[in-house]
Amino acid sequence: MFERYSRIWARRAILQTLVRRDLRVRYARSWLGYLWTIIDPLAMALIYFLVFAVIFKRPDAGHKPYFLFLIIGLLPWQWFNASINETARALVAEAKLVRSTNLPRELWVIRAVIAKGIEFLLSLPVLLAFVIFYVIKGDTTLNWRIVLFPVALVLQFILLTGIGLLLAPATVLADDTIRLVRIVLRMLFYGTPIIYTLDKAPDWLQTVLWFNPLSGILELYRAGFFPERIQLAPLLIGASMSVGFLVWGSLSFARMERAVLKEI
Amino acid sequence: MGSLAGHEAGTPSARDVITADGLGIEFYRSRRRKLSLREMALRRENTAPKETFWALKDVSFSVGPGEAVGLVGSNGGGKSTLLKMIAGVLLPDEGSVKVQGGVAPLIELTGGFLGELSARENVLLTAGLHGLDKHEISERFDDIVDFAGPQVRQGLDMPFRHFSSGMQVRLGFALITTLDEPIVLVDEVLAVGDRAFREKCYQRMEDLLSQGRTLFLVSHSEADLRRFCTRGLYLQSGRLVADGPMEDVLEQYNASSA
Repeated sequence: MFERYSRIWARRAILQTLVRRDLRVRYARSWLGYLWTIIDPLAMALIYFLVFAVIFKRPDAGHKPYFLFLIIGLLPWQWFNASINETARALVAEAKLVRSTNLPRELWVIRAVIAKGIEFLLSLPVLLAFVIFYVIKGDTTLNWRIVLFPVALVLQFILLTGIGLLLAPATVLADDTIRLVRIVLRMLFYGTPIIYTLDKAPDWLQTVLWFNPLSGILELYRAGFFPERIQLAPLLIGASMSVGFLVWGSLSFARMERAVLKEI
Repeated sequence: MGSLAGHEAGTPSARDVITADGLGIEFYRSRRRKLSLREMALRRENTAPKETFWALKDVSFSVGPGEAVGLVGSNGGGKSTLLKMIAGVLLPDEGSVKVQGGVAPLIELTGGFLGELSARENVLLTAGLHGLDKHEISERFDDIVDFAGPQVRQGLDMPFRHFSSGMQVRLGFALITTLDEPIVLVDEVLAVGDRAFREKCYQRMEDLLSQGRTLFLVSHSEADLRRFCTRGLYLQSGRLVADGPMEDVLEQYNASSA
């Protein structure tokens, strides 16, 4: 496994090329390209805000201010969602390139995670704008735990790479993986503390939610912007599950590679 | 092995750039290897027949630097499969193939190109994918475009999908053959392009050979094989049945397929 990763590291220049290619394709088609990256989470945040804070009158589902809480949850979710969809198709979509270049095949997965990750980074100025707005308004304050934000980013990257390495070969070998992934993602959105906080769930459900690695990761993302205490259990479980997924994904990817190359 | 066995085979030396040892790969006969998730869940009750066949079996040979090897055999003999295994885009189920140095695969020429991007961007990106750094790319960019021809140069900033398929292949050929890799694999691509371009391709291939590159050529054209190759490998239903001078191998192939 380490040998494979040193091969990938040796080809990081190519990884850069691939990511740049992805971003260029994404932003070459329309000048609206960048706007789309931020319109989507903003629109979703607005909808959930209207539904929960205005109609159900429960803005206390999350931390205050609820709109900021929503955005901090939705931006990483967008990365998660887009990356899973993209990595599941990573090998199928680039079948021609996979067939014609002898690169470590993991690159196709990692490049999708990074490309979507960069879009996530590009959407952060929006978050920054709202943070400044709410801080000036006096609704929230920043604290030192903001240093956990990059930690969350790294963990999410590890998690996404692991899941991607599991899904990409599965899609090659079974066509209907994509459909299943879509359904699971839609359910997972509600099974992730994005529009609510962990402690709003009943105790038994909280324990279940700990085993969603995103629960811990989102706690880390939010820690710097809200004064609330962060829970340790979901954090530890989330971190170990992320690493676990990466190890599992890497091993399974290596095992499936032979069959995948024949089918692609 | 036929009467021609013995040439190089079985006497691998440290200088060899390609060494295949007992190479084998197994494919499913039916196209429907794919399981649906339902089938996976139901204890892998694959409804498709499980019959398999070996596209290559027990293939051993070694190729020294600067050799020009032609692969012959009828359709389905395993020629392209062998080429892909040397290129490292298929992995063996049995045995091994060792390759010293990099490979320039003229297999799927336009594989790396994206329709939405301009030809210029495509060249830059694909050359990067094949391992050239920025400096090398800018050094060779003009060569590549010149070789592909004036029409390609005119359309450099056009989306690549507006190119005719001939122009696309030209650009692909130009790009791959400027790579420095010591081994060049060619799969039938010489059949593309108009006559003038084909002549240019031939010239380029001869240049590569004279620079001491190792060439592996798959072709159904005896003229091409005779022109470029000194040594022939004959694959029949996945087995290596002859390995010797090109002329002799062609003779044996013609005799057995007649």
